Amino acid sequence: MAASDTTVAAKWRWGLLDVVVVVFALVPVLWIASLSFKTTGTLTDGNFVPREWTLDNYRTIFSTNQFVRALGNSIGIALIATAVAVVLGTMAAYAVARLDFPGKKALVGVSLLIAMFPQVSLVSPLFEIERSLGLFDTWPGLILPYITFSLPLAIYTLSAFFKQIPWDLEKAAKMDGATSGQAFRRVIAPLAAPGVFTTAILVFIFCWNDFLFAISLTSTERSRTVPVALSFFTGESQFEDPTGAICAAAVVITIPIILFVLFFQRRIVSGLTSGAVKG
Amino acid sequence: MPVWLLLPALAVLVPMFAYPLYQLGLLSLFDYGQPQVSGGEPARFVGAGNFSTLFADPAFWTVLGQTVVFAAGCVVVTLALGAALAVLMTRIGKLARTMLSYAALTAWAAPAMTGSVVWMFLFDSNLGLVNEVLGLDGYNWLYDRTVAFALVGAVVVWHSFPFVMITLYAGIQAVPPSVLEAAALDGAGAATAFRRITVPMLRPLIAIVVIQSIIWDFKVFTQIYVMTRGGGIAGQNMVLNVYAYQKAFASSQYGLGSAIGIVMTLILLVVTLLYLRALRRTGEVL
Repeated sequence: MAASDTTVAAKWRWGLLDVVVVVFALVPVLWIASLSFKTTGTLTDGNFVPREWTLDNYRTIFSTNQFVRALGNSIGIALIATAVAVVLGTMAAYAVARLDFPGKKALVGVSLLIAMFPQVSLVSPLFEIERSLGLFDTWPGLILPYITFSLPLAIYTLSAFFKQIPWDLEKAAKMDGATSGQAFRRVIAPLAAPGVFTTAILVFIFCWNDFLFAISLTSTERSRTVPVALSFFTGESQFEDPTGAICAAAVVITIPIILFVLFFQRRIVSGLTSGAVKG
Repeated sequence: MPVWLLLPALAVLVPMFAYPLYQLGLLSLFDYGQPQVSGGEPARFVGAGNFSTLFADPAFWTVLGQTVVFAAGCVVVTLALGAALAVLMTRIGKLARTMLSYAALTAWAAPAMTGSVVWMFLFDSNLGLVNEVLGLDGYNWLYDRTVAFALVGAVVVWHSFPFVMITLYAGIQAVPPSVLEAAALDGAGAATAFRRITVPMLRPLIAIVVIQSIIWDFKVFTQIYVMTRGGGIAGQNMVLNVYAYQKAFASSQYGLGSAIGIVMTLILLVVTLLYLRALRRTGEVL
């Protein structure tokens, strides 16, 4: 944009518009946070800022097995799935980015196929397979589909990052007397780390947010994750009026996401624009 | 060939993707319901029977039509909003831009479940902020088919506009300033330069964003399932994804559910082929 047409007045107008959009993006999140701090009596008063603050809703959910187990499941399942997907993805992406081999095109094609695939179609076959293998309603029963559907994202993002690494440095380090292991540890690993880390964040968000697999491949508290547990907070269970509890639970699962965005905003943007697919 | 680098990935993808995919194809050819799952009756081969049942069912065509219109609506609004905001990002100061980026990323990354719950409460007939502000006490936003779809669509857009905005902004930033300067020297105004230079240069990127949005919005599940409680009053807000799920899980017609799954996969496959063509045009080689 030429600098001449951005007068002060225009700047203000655009700034105002910016505020409107920021409000549109953030108000829903703030609203649910506000609801989660309201007492049962003031829940329906429609005030944006709670008139009476309370932590009761949080106390309620953290005192139930239903929520605490689900939180543990969510954290464990998402972390393990992320770790495995990133390791497998790193190996495959290295091959895709650096080596030429027959079938490379096919591999890329398959990745794309999985990325676009309607997950719901695979739910019934997976349900059958997992039941016959005894994986239904277990941690691995969710971890495995999460790895499957995040691998294409991991491979795609990582290979985009790996292509930008100046691999000649590895050769230079070896010429200067470094062993292959040293060259990798001292030169390549530090250069690759940001890409790997970014990918891990994106994969974690995908696993953490999933609802479809979590609702169809689990049946008890053993492996239910928070998004699903939340959908079971109804008046019939221990929550007399589940609204406050649902809001508190929704806030809890959104906190890690908000922290990621706050601390790693730049990385997430670079991951997204490297061609990442939102699953 | 670096087989060992790929083996671990394949070790997951073959049993967890290729095999279920094969099972999906197989299931779609059988009459496979509750009696067969429990082992009471053998599965009966019906060939294309599930597909003819499906295509003869007017409900399927209604759902398919709804899915296409809903996804198209979401894509159009997401893109218009995302593109407008990408341009806005180039016009505002650094502080405003950073704030916008933070807010948008929060919306993008928030769990679909949180998004659905929040918007449900925002528009709740009794405790909702929106009814409070508009003075529509007791108005139920999920009662009317179109209004309910619009509400779910708003949540989908809320989740997906940030991706479009950020990708297109990155694209705009990547346009070499020298080209724009040359245009300015030749007497082109900012608007003309944008229309004649920036937009054409972004065309391949726009194609990618469009197709990704189509793929994403065609597969909306959580928002519909949660907000309309499984497809709306009498299934009026059903889309293909939820329909397939309900057929398979709620009514235990796994064969029919699989047939719907195959139909969806074929539709998305066509979209993906278009995506590949768009990718090739950007000169991207993965």
